[in-house]
Amino acid sequence: MSTREPRWLRWTLIVVALAFLIVNLALPLAAVFAGAFAKGLAAYRTAIVEHDAVAAMKLTLTVAAIAVPLNIVFGVAASWAVAKFDFPGKSILISLIDLPLSVSPVVSGLIYVLLFGLQGWGGEWLRDHDIKLIFAVPGIVLATMFVTFPFVARELIPLMLEQGRTDEEAARSLGASGWQTFARVTLPNIRWGLLYGVLLCNARAMGEFGAVSVVSGHIRGLTNTLPLHIEILYNEYNYVAAFAVASLLAGLALVTLVAKSALEWRFGDQIAGGGH
Amino acid sequence: MTVAVADLTKRFRDHLALDSVTLDVRPGEFLALLGPSGSGKTTLLRIIGGLDFPDAGTVSFAGEDVAGRPARDRRVGFVFQNYALFRHMRVADNIAFGLTVKPRSQRPGAMAIAARVDELLALVQLPGLGRRYPAQLSGGQRQRVALARALAVDPAVLLLDEPFGALDAKVRNDLRRWLRGVHAQMGLTSIFVTHDQDEALDLADRVAVMNNGRIEQVDTPDAVYNRPATAFVADFIGNATRFDCRLSDGAVELAGVRLPNTAPPAPDGPGVAFVRPHEFAIASAGTPGLAATVRRVTHTAAMANVEAVLADGRVVDIATATVAVDAGAAITLVPTVVRAYPA
Repeated sequence: MSTREPRWLRWTLIVVALAFLIVNLALPLAAVFAGAFAKGLAAYRTAIVEHDAVAAMKLTLTVAAIAVPLNIVFGVAASWAVAKFDFPGKSILISLIDLPLSVSPVVSGLIYVLLFGLQGWGGEWLRDHDIKLIFAVPGIVLATMFVTFPFVARELIPLMLEQGRTDEEAARSLGASGWQTFARVTLPNIRWGLLYGVLLCNARAMGEFGAVSVVSGHIRGLTNTLPLHIEILYNEYNYVAAFAVASLLAGLALVTLVAKSALEWRFGDQIAGGGH
Repeated sequence: MTVAVADLTKRFRDHLALDSVTLDVRPGEFLALLGPSGSGKTTLLRIIGGLDFPDAGTVSFAGEDVAGRPARDRRVGFVFQNYALFRHMRVADNIAFGLTVKPRSQRPGAMAIAARVDELLALVQLPGLGRRYPAQLSGGQRQRVALARALAVDPAVLLLDEPFGALDAKVRNDLRRWLRGVHAQMGLTSIFVTHDQDEALDLADRVAVMNNGRIEQVDTPDAVYNRPATAFVADFIGNATRFDCRLSDGAVELAGVRLPNTAPPAPDGPGVAFVRPHEFAIASAGTPGLAATVRRVTHTAAMANVEAVLADGRVVDIATATVAVDAGAAITLVPTVVRAYPA
């Protein structure tokens, strides 16, 4: 794209944008790794193979592995319903999808304690049936799902609304079943939006602090996720360990970013051909 | 295959899109649904194709009721206004789609599908373009891919929604002729929706003119043009000018001129009359008729086009054999043919 803006204006904008990125993103990221390696490689290694750190890592990956796929299913289903059908209460559903984003994560966590905690509405029933939700892994999964629910749906709804229904109608008139239409027409049309939503959802699922903090109970080696573990280490003035574990979390974020870029590079022709 | 709809009614919230529509399409016929936007023509097409379902009425193919049958079980080929090509699939995969989604027992083998795709690419005059993506084709090429895709499953009925709407005039004319040929060659019954009267009159065996969810007239292009059944059809087709008139004894009294009414017989009383551009004679001022002033005269190969302003300020275009009038001249327009309907 050619432009007629004067050279000085272009360069000012570029410098401002770059400076912002460096100060707000690159520097903190570098600080995390600098802090992690402040006492050398051995201290770093000790911090991340320590029993509680490994347990926290496993729990974080487990929670993400459950919450993200479920949110993909619910997110696609909700977007499909909103974009392809007309039904009463549609605008209420759209507003509800945004609810987790507008509520503080701490409040989201408290909702679950209120519902399923011992003093809560479902608490006695759960205790009588020997089901533990709060201060246990299921509660962490539920809270994470609640907080990360909007990411897939919000990415897909505008995309599917813009694409309309005619592709699906064409598939149906050509004899495709509902499942064939979804798998061969709808899903390929939304795959890049879906991938982006999944990456955001995953990043938030692994990084969520507030809601998980309320329902977890902070039991070391059992209900501590990575972010909670980092906070504990930090509060114990164990800075090297805190930054070392934080670097793992940052590393996971970088991996998802690289994965996204790699996919875009590998399937770039299809993205271009697909117009999205 | 005969396509028949009877007493179709469809309501969208408080808008009556179809109001008790009855229409029979004969086997092998090329029928146009013509009307202004909002007249219900696309809704009718979608209901025939099984993409919408009526609130009341029946749809039957070859005498068999299909009203409750979804699109995938109707054997219709549907060509969408914006083609609705699957943008992530190559042209060949688009065309093959209807074959590859068949149940395993009816699905042709990969070789047979590839052969059929090549055959269809040749039919739509796009040989060798099977490996392109839709985004790499021109509008006219996409249109033909959409048609090939619809034809791949051997439909008995072909439904087209504004098939030429998004194309420029030159491409549109070429495609019209070509589509007409494909229709005859494949022995299809085809229905297409258009708001362009030239297209409908040029292409169709019969034209159904729609207005406000009703069919005003179903007839040959000649009859729709020369013998409009209702005031709406007379007004909509042929760029006519509308006048108030009086009907009496089968004749029309219009601005002091008395003419036979060429429209269907109407009771005596006040009426509305329609006169087309070539149905005026130009006479000198003072003659009985419509007083007007010439605003502009343009000449084309065989005709002169006179733009005249009536006393009430309306502008009338008159097509006439070359005459000697100049801009600014006062003249009288004398209608020579008139169609009038009860007001």
